[in-house]
Amino acid sequence: MRTRSTPKQNHLLAALPAADFARLAPQLELVPLALGAVIYESDGEQAHVYFPTSGIVSLLYVMNDGAAAEIAVVGNEGMVGISLFMGGGTTPSRAVVQSVGRAYRLDAAQIKVEFARGGALQRLLLRYTQALITQMTQTAVCNRHHQLEQQLCRWLLLSLDRLPSSELVMTQQLIANMLGVRREGVTEAAGRLQADGLISYRRGRINVLDRAKLEERVCECYGVVRRESDRLFASHAAIAA
Amino acid sequence: MSATASSAANNPKDNHLLAALSGDSLAALLPYLEGVQLPLGMVVYESGGAQRYVYFPTSSIVSLLYVLANGSSAEIAVTGNEGLVGISLFMGGETTPSRAVVQSAGWGYRLRGEVLRKEFESGGALQHLLLRYTQALITQMTQTAVCNRHHAVDQQLCRWLLLSLDRLPGDELVMTQELIANMLGVRREGVTEAAGKLQAEGLIRYSRGHIKVLDRKQLEARVCECYGVVKKEYDRLLPEIGARLH
Repeated sequence: MRTRSTPKQNHLLAALPAADFARLAPQLELVPLALGAVIYESDGEQAHVYFPTSGIVSLLYVMNDGAAAEIAVVGNEGMVGISLFMGGGTTPSRAVVQSVGRAYRLDAAQIKVEFARGGALQRLLLRYTQALITQMTQTAVCNRHHQLEQQLCRWLLLSLDRLPSSELVMTQQLIANMLGVRREGVTEAAGRLQADGLISYRRGRINVLDRAKLEERVCECYGVVRRESDRLFASHAAIAA
Repeated sequence: MSATASSAANNPKDNHLLAALSGDSLAALLPYLEGVQLPLGMVVYESGGAQRYVYFPTSSIVSLLYVLANGSSAEIAVTGNEGLVGISLFMGGETTPSRAVVQSAGWGYRLRGEVLRKEFESGGALQHLLLRYTQALITQMTQTAVCNRHHAVDQQLCRWLLLSLDRLPGDELVMTQELIANMLGVRREGVTEAAGKLQAEGLIRYSRGHIKVLDRKQLEARVCECYGVVKKEYDRLLPEIGARLH
């Protein structure tokens, strides 16, 4: 069963004033986000920006020895490819599709032209970047101070915020890669959450059974990110004006 | 050296971002740039707090950190003479959950937020410079996330020392172990031990809060890849600044 995709399923695009959206829409190309697809490689050229309508893209850094650490997640609340308007063009991190979905993509040259117009789109993209920065910096804090179980909760909640249902399709190995820990640690932490009735985890499918409890269990890092996102986008009308 | 610099010696061009501005851009800002002393521990902005100014350190270091509910902290990034403090003033957020604190006393310049914003919004070279700077800062922050996940205290200490020294005019840092421990989010004993090892091997000299790097090359060999990633990005994104650094 395929549901129709429209650009306004991405919150950033939906927040644009009518005239800006009308100008952008014909240039947006709908593309699939296949599980595991590399949207851009570390220091690799980026030909497009992506506005997901469904699915999740993970921004992560892969070290010389192959170990990884996820920095942030992007879903239908955001976009992938900020370095195209921030001016770097590339970034040392890698963007990988972590949960299957679709996105509208815009040519690199076009996003630069649109950004340079100033106005609503520029303001929106900069605010989004600031929200993304908060997510990234909170990951730094969380990685220093909090336990794996809380980090798993944070990761689950951030992912869930970007998905339409309470189900995640994800192997423990993949989660371990994202969190930069050993798989056994994830198995243990997930096991505890399951035993306490917060999630059910079977054959790569995680179902969140008690979101409220998950939000109680998680460290403060989730709340910080969530509140900042909400705050920065509460005034969409103000941005668009 | 930095702590005793006088106001007479303070010069906007001692901040590399300001020095990289075109003549016109700098001329537009110059009348509004105020030389300020940045004493140790000064809170440049509080978490969620209003930010009226952006700051351009010239001989000081400002730490961006997050303070947890239980009072412990974790540093997210350091800013010194290569950059500015207060990006949310042009990124549009106006506030941020992190706190900015002067970690190494010295001097700098401050500029009213609305003045910078006006220049920023006119597009052009200043805007591009500030955005590239912000991207470099993002790389520093994300690398901190990675480093905190994967690397041990001694490598983190090396990274932090190198990043700080890159952002000061001399080759010496004035810093207590307690403060470093707060920045790294670890126990003081961990810092004492790590610093002791570096000293024993002749990489640094650490006495009475003064840290002097004796063997920079070895320090760069010892540090995790995280330092190199950040440095490479700063040099790449801000070539006009990289050319000025030692």
